[in-house]
Amino acid sequence: MKHLFPYQWTTAIIGIVIAFIILLLIRRDLLHVKRSLWWIGIAALIVVMGFFPTTIDKFGILLGVNYPPVLILTLGIGFILIKILSMDLERSRQERTLRRLTQRMAILEGMLSEVNGKKEER
Amino acid sequence: MQRSHIAVLIPAWDEETTVASVVANLKKDIDCDVIVINDASMDGTVAQAERAGAKVLSLPVNLGAWGAIQTGIRYALKQGYRQVITMDADGQHDSAFIPHLLAPIQEGTANIVIGSCTDRGSMARKIAWMLFRWITGLDIKDITSGFRSYDSSAMILLASREATLLEYQDVGVLMLLMQSGLRIREIEVKMQPRQVGSSKVFSSWFKVAEYMILTMILCSSHIMKRKRRLSATQRGSL
Repeated sequence: MKHLFPYQWTTAIIGIVIAFIILLLIRRDLLHVKRSLWWIGIAALIVVMGFFPTTIDKFGILLGVNYPPVLILTLGIGFILIKILSMDLERSRQERTLRRLTQRMAILEGMLSEVNGKKEER
Repeated sequence: MQRSHIAVLIPAWDEETTVASVVANLKKDIDCDVIVINDASMDGTVAQAERAGAKVLSLPVNLGAWGAIQTGIRYALKQGYRQVITMDADGQHDSAFIPHLLAPIQEGTANIVIGSCTDRGSMARKIAWMLFRWITGLDIKDITSGFRSYDSSAMILLASREATLLEYQDVGVLMLLMQSGLRIREIEVKMQPRQVGSSKVFSSWFKVAEYMILTMILCSSHIMKRKRRLSATQRGSL
């Protein structure tokens, strides 16, 4: 069967679609612009690999990988792990902040009830 | 209202059956202010504690025992207390021992005093304590006792952001105190068995396993950490 597109185009189009979706999510205020950097970077990488597929072959040879597509999969898994770890780091930071805000709320409520109690005593 | 210079902090999560008697006994025995930190209880803990004469701080969501104690410490610092006692709401700790917990701090020989009761606990618990002591180098017999007194320097450290992600008032708290060069002392106390119900920290074998694994990871992550002094950031982040 004849191919509709050359395979480089397919990869590049996937990258462009990802970049478009990210921009759309920012535009609709569903994704913080700070969180978009990673995804735009990944999309750009996919586009580059689509238009210049031999780049990964050259890297594969340089790193001693006989079958270069394995390198793409390994790098992909590595990037996903890094992303998940950074998400857990961010969650820990947010949890610390949330706990302290919760504590502060209880403290301020306690102080407020004391002030109100003193007012009633007068 | 004239404040006592000592606050007793009692974290409470669904402890309506015991909290009132614990507060009443304290009020009877010691000249202190009792602060109950209600850890999002669903029962009548708040009403019982207030009726018995305690000041109640209510957390809107459950933060666990350490989160509640830290809330109490932060509140105590804001209110000008320079010494706090922590104890459980289940009636295990005897208020008669509080003067013994306070004495070393008032004499200036310790920053933290732990009321130890090594008689309690199963063989498995004692083996766990031994293991944690061996990994961390902590020279403390009862590392899980919640019956403690803290002076102002320990309070400042424990109120900091650095202590916020701890789960329990045990190994993590003790390592933080030790690494900051604060002096920890232990005194022997008698503890009663829980009056009602069972431990909430060790409510199932799954919880025990989770506690053991998390504490082991925490201990391992602190190996070789150097001693340091209280930083300006810690002092300023109350």
